[in-house]
Amino acid sequence: MIRHKPLLGRVAIVLLICLLLPLAVAACRGGAAPASAPAQDTATNTPAILRVGWPGSPDTLNPGTGILAEAYTIYSLVYDTLFTLQLDGTYKLNVAESYEVSDDGKVWTFKIPTGVKFHDGQPLTAKDVAFSLNFYKAHEDFPYLNFYTLAFESIEASDDTTVVLTLTEAIPNLESQLLALYILPEHIWGQYTEGAAAAEYENPAMIGSGPFKLQEYQQNEFVHLVANPDHRLTPPKIDEIIFQTFGNADALVQALVTGQVDMITEMPSTAVPVLERTENVQVVTGTPLSPQLRDIIFNQLAPENCPAEDGICSGHPALRDRAVRLALAHATDKQNIIDVAMLGLAKPGLTLVASGQAYWYNDTLQDYAFDIAQANQILDEAGYLDTDNDGVRELPDGSRPLTFRLQWANDIPEAPRIAELLGQTWGQIGVKTEPQAVDPDALTAACCPAFDFDIMIWGWSWGPDPNDPLGVMRSDQIPTGSSESGYANPEYDQLYNQQAVELDPEKRKAIVWQMQEIVFNDVVYVIPYYHDVVQAFRTDRFQGWIVDQPTLELSDPSSLMTIEPVQ
Amino acid sequence: MNQYLLKKFGWALLTVAFVVVLNFFLFRILPGDPARMVRDPRLTQQAVEAIRVRFGLDQPLHTQFLLYVRNLLQGELGTSFHTQRPVADILVENLWNTLLLIGPGTVLSIILGILLGLGAAWKSRTAIDYGILVASLVAWAAPTFWFGIILLFWGSSQLGLPIGGKMTPGANFAHWWEEWLDVGKHLLLPTLTYTIIYAGQYTLFMRSAVLEIFSEDYILTAKAKGLNSFQILRDHALRNAMLPTVTVVALNLGFTVAGAIEIESVFSLPGLGYTVVEAVGRQDYPLLQGAFLLLAVSVIFANLMADLLYSYLDPRVRVT
Repeated sequence: MIRHKPLLGRVAIVLLICLLLPLAVAACRGGAAPASAPAQDTATNTPAILRVGWPGSPDTLNPGTGILAEAYTIYSLVYDTLFTLQLDGTYKLNVAESYEVSDDGKVWTFKIPTGVKFHDGQPLTAKDVAFSLNFYKAHEDFPYLNFYTLAFESIEASDDTTVVLTLTEAIPNLESQLLALYILPEHIWGQYTEGAAAAEYENPAMIGSGPFKLQEYQQNEFVHLVANPDHRLTPPKIDEIIFQTFGNADALVQALVTGQVDMITEMPSTAVPVLERTENVQVVTGTPLSPQLRDIIFNQLAPENCPAEDGICSGHPALRDRAVRLALAHATDKQNIIDVAMLGLAKPGLTLVASGQAYWYNDTLQDYAFDIAQANQILDEAGYLDTDNDGVRELPDGSRPLTFRLQWANDIPEAPRIAELLGQTWGQIGVKTEPQAVDPDALTAACCPAFDFDIMIWGWSWGPDPNDPLGVMRSDQIPTGSSESGYANPEYDQLYNQQAVELDPEKRKAIVWQMQEIVFNDVVYVIPYYHDVVQAFRTDRFQGWIVDQPTLELSDPSSLMTIEPVQ
Repeated sequence: MNQYLLKKFGWALLTVAFVVVLNFFLFRILPGDPARMVRDPRLTQQAVEAIRVRFGLDQPLHTQFLLYVRNLLQGELGTSFHTQRPVADILVENLWNTLLLIGPGTVLSIILGILLGLGAAWKSRTAIDYGILVASLVAWAAPTFWFGIILLFWGSSQLGLPIGGKMTPGANFAHWWEEWLDVGKHLLLPTLTYTIIYAGQYTLFMRSAVLEIFSEDYILTAKAKGLNSFQILRDHALRNAMLPTVTVVALNLGFTVAGAIEIESVFSLPGLGYTVVEAVGRQDYPLLQGAFLLLAVSVIFANLMADLLYSYLDPRVRVT
């Protein structure tokens, strides 16, 4: 009899090697990694480590090219800036101890105190501040930060403690421009100023001067920060923070429930009731520090404004008629959308300027009531009748039914529900929708400046200044892709330019409010809601979270520098 | 034998070359503009133009292609549009996470699948067979993410197992074995998920292959020679029954490098699948090109390995 070699045995050995190999390599890798000691190892007590769970991860440690909100959270902890935004909406001096503004508002002189140090021990001087601002100004390919320098004419450090910032024209919102212009050490970044090097520098050590220092960063896994006890203003009361990325919302919530993390920066609305019942967990909701809103965009582009180069301009002609948009606004049940799609965790919206932009938000506008009868009446009076009795109205000349394509970005989880609810109520006024979920890139391609759509559900998130939301509706933004509605109103454009240089806050506010009234009356958008921010933390780990301010953000430096371990 | 090998290698190389070309043009057909990274008023037209220049997208397509091929030949995969990091670095990090997950999972699922499949076939049409059959069908048919979430909830609340990442971030380990233990704890649930899902599939394949062989004449002959069931199973059935299973394993192995994405996202293990999905969303051409090249090479390599294993398991393949 022929005996085969014992096949199973050989296979088993091979498989065993395969099984152990990754583990062996893991050990080697682990051994090679720096065995880092905690920030303060002198005391015998264990360091106070805050573990934060969040759904994302910074895209890059290089502030010049950062896009994602997670990246900016880390930047604001590791770097100092000239101003910071507080949770009550006011600005506070950060790395500078004082500043003066010239009478014409064009020259800002900042005093930088001596003795401020970067995390590597090198001094931070006015030269580093000037270098950083010039650095952002010089690189047009920095997606966000270059924008904030557009009004800068020159930045110079006359000595180690004085920075002189000269503007091309006086602007009312310089503080908000300086919020994200992080102070970089020239002795490190000085060699990466030319060409693509500035954008491609990975900034692995991330030397800043902020209240926390970078310890370790693994993309899409975690960011490990340790406290900077030498910070000039606010040395933290905790020793370390670890931001850990969770690939899905259920795991994130479960990590808080089981105590694997101490705080989570966001969660699905459906998790709120569960967490509210969980022992030692507190759920907090509020107005986000960066206001966020959902918008229903009507393509109202006039044919003569169709962008010559990129325009497809296939919008339904009825949407150019204010009466139709007004009827749609009256037929939108915002509260129901909030209750069903957002489980109540949002506030009805008015215009693109969000309630979170407190001072600039015009809360005197009276929202269009949800009233199907009134909506029907508006369409009847405007001549949109259902002549063929198929349940859908037609244009006054009878040529085309009021059937609108309704598209949304498929990365918005609640959008399908919103579309469904809109379809129901709009259906009651003889308007038909053709719903379609679209990839965000495809939606951008259809949106602007192509204007190849009828109605879209999308959203925005803003900084504290009203320039951004108001700027989106300018007519000169139609060809650039910023305008998504195709709205064109010379009076509005003129008011925009006026408010952009109005230095008196009260006068500027009056213009900003007037602009909101104009676009509200013209029904450029329907804003179903402004988001609430929903966060949660464990009450048995850290205390002192700031939850009583007009805006809420537990990962804001102010909270992270106030909290201390529960004894 | 050599000719057989050469032919196989030749085809593999040709496929890689085809993938290289396809990779370049495929992603550029997608709608949208990678330089317009976000819809944000702060991203001005000038900024988009400047970014386009930095990415080299201002060059004509054929120039971009030649540059891509030239860099590839020099082993340069380029810089990711999204993270501005070298693509090779990103891929190595992610491949590592993926291997950590699918390495042990594959081995365990193969062992389990073969054993259960053999057992079921051996005891065919008994309660054991039906039990294994139903369990395998359920495991194979269950949605991976659902099954993973169930295990995640159970493991974290009942066993206190960690549920995110491959190790505790920021931990300091006094001994190497503590670190191993930590990694092991983190990988237990994802590996279990992977093992159960794939073992179900392998069991079914193995069972039907063995059953088919049991009906062959030479098994009857072996029985007639007076061999006991175990000898028949080991010496006559197993080797032949391995062929279809090797095919499935090889195919899976190639694809799971990209396809473990559901487990990756449930257990927050950022592997290749996760990265590819993110990169598609962001139109990160260099990262997509690199990742798909890597995926294609793994599939081709896994198939090549299957071919070689075939010739080892089945001498007839060597002759033809």
